Amino acid sequence: MTDAPPLLEVRGISKSYVDGAKEFKVLDGIDFAVRDRDFVCVVGSSGCGKSTLLRIIVGLEPPTAGTVRFEGQPIRADNPQVAMVFQSFALFPWLTVEQNVELGLEARGRPPGERRERARRSIEEVGLTGFENAYPRELSGGMKQRVGIARALAMEPLLLCMDEPFYALDGLTAQSLRDEILQLWSDPEHPPRAVLMVTHNIEEAVYLADRVIVLSDRPGRILAERRIDLPRPRNRKEPEFYGWVDELYSLIV
Amino acid sequence: MAAIAKVSLSQIVGLVEAIDEVGGQADVATISQEVEMELDRLGPIVDAAEFLGLLRVVDGDLSINDLSRKVLRANVKERKAIFRDILENMPVFRHVTTLVRSAGRPLGKRDVIGALAGAVGSHHSEAFFNALVYWGRYVELVRYDSEAEQLSLRTPSK
Repeated sequence: MTDAPPLLEVRGISKSYVDGAKEFKVLDGIDFAVRDRDFVCVVGSSGCGKSTLLRIIVGLEPPTAGTVRFEGQPIRADNPQVAMVFQSFALFPWLTVEQNVELGLEARGRPPGERRERARRSIEEVGLTGFENAYPRELSGGMKQRVGIARALAMEPLLLCMDEPFYALDGLTAQSLRDEILQLWSDPEHPPRAVLMVTHNIEEAVYLADRVIVLSDRPGRILAERRIDLPRPRNRKEPEFYGWVDELYSLIV
Repeated sequence: MAAIAKVSLSQIVGLVEAIDEVGGQADVATISQEVEMELDRLGPIVDAAEFLGLLRVVDGDLSINDLSRKVLRANVKERKAIFRDILENMPVFRHVTTLVRSAGRPLGKRDVIGALAGAVGSHHSEAFFNALVYWGRYVELVRYDSEAEQLSLRTPSK
């Protein structure tokens, strides 16, 4: 073990919204860390604040209290070492696949040659070579999310954050993409080094993660953290798998 | 065929994986429950998987085979290569790729559909064209320019 700080350190994060005279607390005292090679899933029912937590972690929203550190430094919204994949894909319909993938790099002011090269690489990693000039309307839901993933990978992030990335997909497409994400993460030669994913789907969390963090209903507090030590590839029909799913369910319900 | 052409290769892989997880064989109704997909949506995916030779379907019983097991063990890139092999060797698609190759230039959508009509009948030709574009693009067998509606062949990236 080294003394290097964890990739991500979340300490005492709370978040409240004020609506008129009323204050709504959505997150309360969240503490956890993501280390190199981790695949962490945060699960909780809808409205528990897990998406808000992710937005705070990537610097898109400020917390009411607490700190988020990346490699020991306070997080910034333009930190290129953290990239985000959205549930809604967040693609621009008037841009081609390649242009959509390059967008994040363009926003960070990378030169055109480097943008094109990095976009080409990440498009290839998600298996989208051949669709560089296609528009989102020509793509299935699964392909659209591959573009979302390629755009995040083009940033060459150390930490890949994903907010319900498979929610809008049918079950079969979602399962193929889960396997592809595991492949990307388990390849030590390529980014990302770690994945932090938010999902309401406990089976999905047990299939993917080596650590699962369970949030309570609003305001979201950490109810439990479990290390899933099942070997991969995991079979969703095996008793050990179902044992984990049942245990996590019983924590939420 | 029109419904098959809308099935993605990811859905086919997801289906094969679901059958593998329950022991490699199951009836359609069981799988429909397992993957939480109604039969009307699952049907075309089963048909597409059978069409590509990844599934054996007998009296509503689905079973996977050596080829589908090979797909499941493969990574993204290897899967593409396997699917490319399958598509390249299907007579109906070979008919088109041979045609484009001998033309030595991109062919328009209408020409290709016309050629397909000779092979599969005009009723199905557009669906086969859509399937070729949809799957063939993913496996890097063809290029398709949707603005100009031109189909050409491509060599896959290494």
